[in-house]
Amino acid sequence: MFFSGAVVAADSPTATTKEAPKDLILKGDAKCTGCHDEADDSKPTMLDLRPSVLAIGKTKHGTVADSRTPTCTDCHGESEKHVKHKGSDKPPKADRTFGKNTKTSPEARNDACLSCHQGGKHMNWQSSVHASRDVTCTACHKVHAAHDKVREKATQAEVCFTCHKEQRAQVNRPSHHPIIEGKMTCTSCHDLHGDNPKSLTKASLNDTCYTCHMEKRGPFVHNHQPVTEDCGICHNPHGTTIANLLKSRPPFLCQECHNHDSHPGQVAGLPTAATTGSSTLGTVGRGCLNCHTNIHGGNSTQNSATAGRFRR
Amino acid sequence: MNAIQQTFRLTTTAAALLAIFGPALADDAEVNELIKPESSVSIGVGNWSADRPQQGIYDGMRDKDAYGLLDADIVKRDDATGTWMKLKASNLGLDNREIKGEYLRQGNFGITLDYNRISRDNPNTFTTRLQGIGTTTQTVSTAALPGPLQTVSLGTVREGIGLGIYKNLLPGLDFTLSFKNEEKTGTRHWGRGGAPEFAVEPINSTIRQVEGTLSYSSKKLQLSGGYYGSWYDTKNTLVAMTNAGLPVSNANTTYLSLPLDNQAHQLFLNGGYSFTPTTRATVKLAYTHATQDEHLPTQDVAGLSLAGSPQSLKGEVNTTLVQLGLTSRPIKDLSLLANFRYFDVQDETPVARFVQGNPLSCVTPPNGNQCVDNTPFSYKTLTGKLEGTYRLTDVYRLTAGVEERRQDRAVPVSNSLGAGGADNQRVVPMRSKVDETTWRLELRRSMSETLNGSLAYLFSQRTGSSYLTVAGPGNSTTNGIGAPGPGNMINPLNIADRERNKLRFALDWTPVESLAFQLNVEQAIDDYEHGPDRPYGLTDGTSQLFSFDASYTMSEKWQVNAWYAYDHSRAKQRNSRANNGGDRLVVADVLDKRYDLQDTGNSLGIGVRGEVTPRVKMGADLQWSRNVSKYDQGLTVLAAGTQLLPAGFSSDLPNIENKLLRLSFFSTYALNKSSDLRVDLIHERWQTDDWSWSFANGTAFSYGTTTDGTTVTANPKQNATFVGLRYVYKFQ
Repeated sequence: MFFSGAVVAADSPTATTKEAPKDLILKGDAKCTGCHDEADDSKPTMLDLRPSVLAIGKTKHGTVADSRTPTCTDCHGESEKHVKHKGSDKPPKADRTFGKNTKTSPEARNDACLSCHQGGKHMNWQSSVHASRDVTCTACHKVHAAHDKVREKATQAEVCFTCHKEQRAQVNRPSHHPIIEGKMTCTSCHDLHGDNPKSLTKASLNDTCYTCHMEKRGPFVHNHQPVTEDCGICHNPHGTTIANLLKSRPPFLCQECHNHDSHPGQVAGLPTAATTGSSTLGTVGRGCLNCHTNIHGGNSTQNSATAGRFRR
Repeated sequence: MNAIQQTFRLTTTAAALLAIFGPALADDAEVNELIKPESSVSIGVGNWSADRPQQGIYDGMRDKDAYGLLDADIVKRDDATGTWMKLKASNLGLDNREIKGEYLRQGNFGITLDYNRISRDNPNTFTTRLQGIGTTTQTVSTAALPGPLQTVSLGTVREGIGLGIYKNLLPGLDFTLSFKNEEKTGTRHWGRGGAPEFAVEPINSTIRQVEGTLSYSSKKLQLSGGYYGSWYDTKNTLVAMTNAGLPVSNANTTYLSLPLDNQAHQLFLNGGYSFTPTTRATVKLAYTHATQDEHLPTQDVAGLSLAGSPQSLKGEVNTTLVQLGLTSRPIKDLSLLANFRYFDVQDETPVARFVQGNPLSCVTPPNGNQCVDNTPFSYKTLTGKLEGTYRLTDVYRLTAGVEERRQDRAVPVSNSLGAGGADNQRVVPMRSKVDETTWRLELRRSMSETLNGSLAYLFSQRTGSSYLTVAGPGNSTTNGIGAPGPGNMINPLNIADRERNKLRFALDWTPVESLAFQLNVEQAIDDYEHGPDRPYGLTDGTSQLFSFDASYTMSEKWQVNAWYAYDHSRAKQRNSRANNGGDRLVVADVLDKRYDLQDTGNSLGIGVRGEVTPRVKMGADLQWSRNVSKYDQGLTVLAAGTQLLPAGFSSDLPNIENKLLRLSFFSTYALNKSSDLRVDLIHERWQTDDWSWSFANGTAFSYGTTTDGTTVTANPKQNATFVGLRYVYKFQ
């Protein structure tokens, strides 16, 4: 206890004060900061708030010049029983708490945020997958922290991986988007507050992919059907062991749709030496794409049997 | 890897700092330290001891070299006006640098400007005589005219500039504008197309996106509408590949097309209205008009296009989205969610003939194979979802839901100029309708102090209309399998009848406040249904996930966590191989192929964070992963005959193993209250036996004998160590 000399003890609201505490950060926060200050930070129940419960002053919520900013009780409730508790025993909890062991319902916790943040990107929160699985705003966001990990490019994925274990393993595979390198985040593609399919930022997976891979949008003179439907038919954007995020490697991948005679039905295998035989080159290198190189679509009008086969 | 919250007890630290640095900390300064934004700048140097072609694909530190380490996070706030000034810079000394500046008068006006660079390096090394790499005219060496042998690296760079503007117009009424311009340049491994030969795609394109949104928000009503426009602009549209010594012309050049400019304009409106605190309706409307109407570059090359064929595709795709949602809690313990979605992607590109090999007929093979129209695909998808959650007790909730998805798919049929029947162009059978129903049941336990979790079961069934058959290339013979050709005897994976069962179990156990465990187990089984007339394609798919996490806060100064994950996926697939002679894989009759493909991943992570002394903090992480892919093939000749593999070919595919071990350690030493020294040590070991770029005997792959002998070399083993030292200055 070194900054609020008027307050003797921090642990208990029964602590005696020599004078009425003053607001430290938020309008009317003295009601709370008279007891809750940095001395709380080492309590096991406050670990999530580290480095400090008072760090909310470093955030946009703590920017009181903006008249919209809340005070403690806007989120935690008036908590009269908690505030007025006297005695040496543990006081009842605040009306709304957000920690790990909270008894506040997910809806009530989210209502505290939605009372201000229902508009804009959060308009469809109630029908989002996260909301319907009881994931709360504070499950991901640290409201008191100067640096909210889920809003920082370098640390966001760590928060998401708290639940999404499969993706944690996938992003570390040899073929991956630059997520672990901090150049992309989960929210580059996903809007967790919305209700688009797979919580994507755009209305479809293809529209989401086009924001960076717009050359695939076409349309092309020669469209490859699965490309026009869903990039996820062939690619796993979170990471795979096959180049270019492919779910399976050619020719196995291609033969999930193509069974015709001639070389497309070839057995998988490796040539023993350099060759031009198309029936022995469907696995090695780029596999079928060694020749069918414009697999996402082509614009050639060259009069050739290969014109519609993405080879030019 | 899960992060470990840094242990930092300010009271203790402050006391220690007072002891170390003297009583200079005035009360106000101490308060400010806790409640005012803080900034930091770090500068240093690091060195990788070896090349890291695989691990350095994206991080800008691929080569054995020394690198400048320069980062900044400067945050200033004028408390009187609520004005923020921010500057965040990362990796300024590296190739993947980024910087963002922001001015924000909170609640009134804000502007951001950012620059971001992402480099992506191909991990393989190419030794080639191909000339003109990076340009649209490439020359392939011949034995008679060999070009100089050179070693080249391929890769791309994205350089993005973004602008964001925010303005509060009235209470509850905001306007936002975002603009992004991204230049992508570089080279990508490609193929010559006409034959399996080495080529390089030259990339020089720009993506621009702009979005303007007007948002209104009140307690009950929220509206948000605006415009989103996106443009793709490429400088390269056609690549000419010619053998050395020959002029570029239709007669002796392979022309490779590139994606052309395209653009899309979208108007959108989102709305939400809360009838009561527990009942809310939402609506989402969007209409997108996308076009690709660039001049086709092959039209400018004599003899490269059908006389009278369109000069441009006149591509047009119009997309309509209508989505309605309702969420409600009619009684205290019951929550309901209903959602209806109409998503219509209509490719309204006019169908035209672009290729016609035989002027007389496009109907009967082989002539039919030589006529090529463009093939627009359209999808109209209706999705309805209904879900209810009932609170059984204080801690248990039960959720049940159903989702019905119905899709109409426009399948082009180009034979006989639209006369119907088997299509002469397509090579894969398609369905005009695909429907899927998904049922979901989940039991959740939450709000317990020690034990929370969920158990969910999902069942879905996908089916569709009868298949529209094909008679395009590759289906000209029945080969004893049955008419009208083997291509029709498959269920393509994206439209196949499928039954899916999925089970998910998650458990969070916190026996004491300082100790937490997390367990996740998932199992999914896909069963693809096949009739006797359609035996090929995926038959079964399974996947499993097991993940276990633990974290322990030993003291307020030390934390440790660990995790282990196992995942396994398996796909069984059946295909045929028909006899069609030539130099191809030949069987006397029909070869039945059974693939059994498996991927297994094991990952482990251990991390520790701690405070050794008030001046010294440290952290260490271990990450280990091993992925094994198996490619088993069962080959059976169905009828009498002998399987004849072509000469110089092995169908025995070894397993592929990828291994990564990464040990990292950092420590910071507080020089004084406002500056630290930070040391980073990383040791990385990457190993693979991926045979993608190898011949059967393990030697590096080189392209065929008629080309210029380009060799592609992978780097199967990469061990490297990084040492970095930084000076960190912190201030407010």
